[in-house]
Amino acid sequence: MIVAGCDVGSLSAEAVIMENGTIIGSEIIRVRPKAEQSAKDVMDKLLTRLNFSYNDIRFTVATGYGRENISFADDNVSEISCHGKGAHFLVPSIKTVVDVGGQDCKAIRVSSNGALEDFVMNDKCAAGTGRSLELNAESLGVDVSELGPLSLEATDTITITNQCSIFTEMEIMHLLMEDKSVVNIAAGINEAMARRVKMLVGKVGVKKDIGITGGVSKNIGVVKYLENMLETDFVEFPEDPQIIGALGAALFAEEKTKQAT
Amino acid sequence: MKAFKELTEISGSRQNSYVSAWKDQGKKVVGYVCSYMPEEILHAADILPYRINGKGVSDMSQADAYLSRVNCSFSRCCLELGFRGEYDFLDGAVWINGCDHIRRCYDNWKAKRPFPFMHMLPVPHKIFPEGRQWYKEEVISFKEAVEAYFGVKITDDKIAEACSVYNETRKLLRKLYDKRTEDEPGFTGPEINTILSASVSMPKPEFNHLLEQVLQETQTVKEGSKKSIRLLVAGSIMDDQGFIENIEEMGAVVVADAFCLGAKNFWDLMDENGNVFENLIDRYYTHSPCPRMAGEYPTRLNFIKEQIERANVEGVILEHIKFCDLHGTDNALLKKDLEKAGIATLELERQYGPLADSGRIRTRVQAFLERIKA
Repeated sequence: MIVAGCDVGSLSAEAVIMENGTIIGSEIIRVRPKAEQSAKDVMDKLLTRLNFSYNDIRFTVATGYGRENISFADDNVSEISCHGKGAHFLVPSIKTVVDVGGQDCKAIRVSSNGALEDFVMNDKCAAGTGRSLELNAESLGVDVSELGPLSLEATDTITITNQCSIFTEMEIMHLLMEDKSVVNIAAGINEAMARRVKMLVGKVGVKKDIGITGGVSKNIGVVKYLENMLETDFVEFPEDPQIIGALGAALFAEEKTKQAT
Repeated sequence: MKAFKELTEISGSRQNSYVSAWKDQGKKVVGYVCSYMPEEILHAADILPYRINGKGVSDMSQADAYLSRVNCSFSRCCLELGFRGEYDFLDGAVWINGCDHIRRCYDNWKAKRPFPFMHMLPVPHKIFPEGRQWYKEEVISFKEAVEAYFGVKITDDKIAEACSVYNETRKLLRKLYDKRTEDEPGFTGPEINTILSASVSMPKPEFNHLLEQVLQETQTVKEGSKKSIRLLVAGSIMDDQGFIENIEEMGAVVVADAFCLGAKNFWDLMDENGNVFENLIDRYYTHSPCPRMAGEYPTRLNFIKEQIERANVEGVILEHIKFCDLHGTDNALLKKDLEKAGIATLELERQYGPLADSGRIRTRVQAFLERIKA
């Protein structure tokens, strides 16, 4: 039985295809302006690679910001449940999932069977999201993918005090004018991000094992600062953490097919 | 459904047909902003009390020039409408020192576009004997100000009459809320919002009459409401049908609330025996408390718990308008205590006004309902 999960976020879209409980392929693309197009593009790409067609897919669950607008999906589940589900599938001992995506940031508590127990999500503000990291990297004149490695070289982390993404940009510009080192500012950006995330995790409580997912989990700087602050290491996922939302959706697709039969 | 349709029309327009008809008779209309305002005083003076709202505002540029971005959007929306002249049909307004946001709304309104009659009725922030005396004195000076400005005499008999009309409204609204507790709730959340909005913007005797009819009309039970998850919603001022509709669309039905425009506004009846003025003071001073009342947190928690039990609630959504520090901090405590009592609870931050960020709300509500179903 082949099922699919499709996660359309604000910055990237992911698809995962599973066959009898095993991942057989995944794909990540940058989003298009419309959710439906992003979903179609990422699915097409994956289906072509696997030599499948839409007809081969028994059930598709959509998730993420654009989940309600995807015509080929059979159902939709919130990204919060999907991240919990996907992370629990890969690491069954997981209790807390920290997901830092493009425009939101969430801390998710899952039960021992992967069900959603509680969650907290950032409020109406871009601070503490992938988008704000992108903006900050831009102000610094580096690519967002360089922020993590750069911050590992820092000798003296500069504390970024502003929380607002726009004010942070101005603070960075000011630091650059003062001729402060790019490396130390990069570390400051990552540390500020980690502080924001730590606050959210604190709200659901730090319960081990903890895993980090979403695009920002690829920033080694944020991850290291957060591990220090939470006084624990994040679990290693055997898959790219960015696909965990789509994986969770595929797992829900599998459940829903079983329920239907 | 004729009576309900009429209530819908009333709640959807600021100067509704009842307000216009009232004014055509040469009678006065006075606005107010808070559930601590004893409306019976105005009713007894044959003045129509009208609860000021900020509905339908998507551009707050005039208000924002006077208030700051850290004032809550409710006070900004109200002030915006005031500046635009949309409340010019009011002959006066009474403010309560409910919170600092709404006080600044009053200051700016008064400075820039004052009504002929404007009164601030301060309410102590704590319930204690001297506070009650203070509140009583303030209500007396409010009553005297109304008498002096409008040239009327507010007698105890008139107040007693008003109290019995208002108690009737409260009893009818409780009957309405009884229908929400049924397995298949007789009314949806947005329908309740509509009725409540109408209740504070038209004469009470006519409202009572319409509500009686609504209660007798056959209700079309919302399809699938039996399968929906039953929620209680509480928090900052709520007159936004769209917000509640958004929640229900995700597979829920709102069957109870703890809003100052909802259950908290009418739950407590007034004692009609004995000294009517003293009873009026007691009723308003100690009615189901707003988080502005220090030391009353246990009462608020218990009120929510009672409503949960009554309506067989499966989950609670606690919303607060951004920068509403009173409800924001109360909600954090409530979330902790309700979860401790085994009740799934979600905190939501929102902006007052046309729902600009419905997607954000929908994601959280959907996940919350998935949590309850899991």
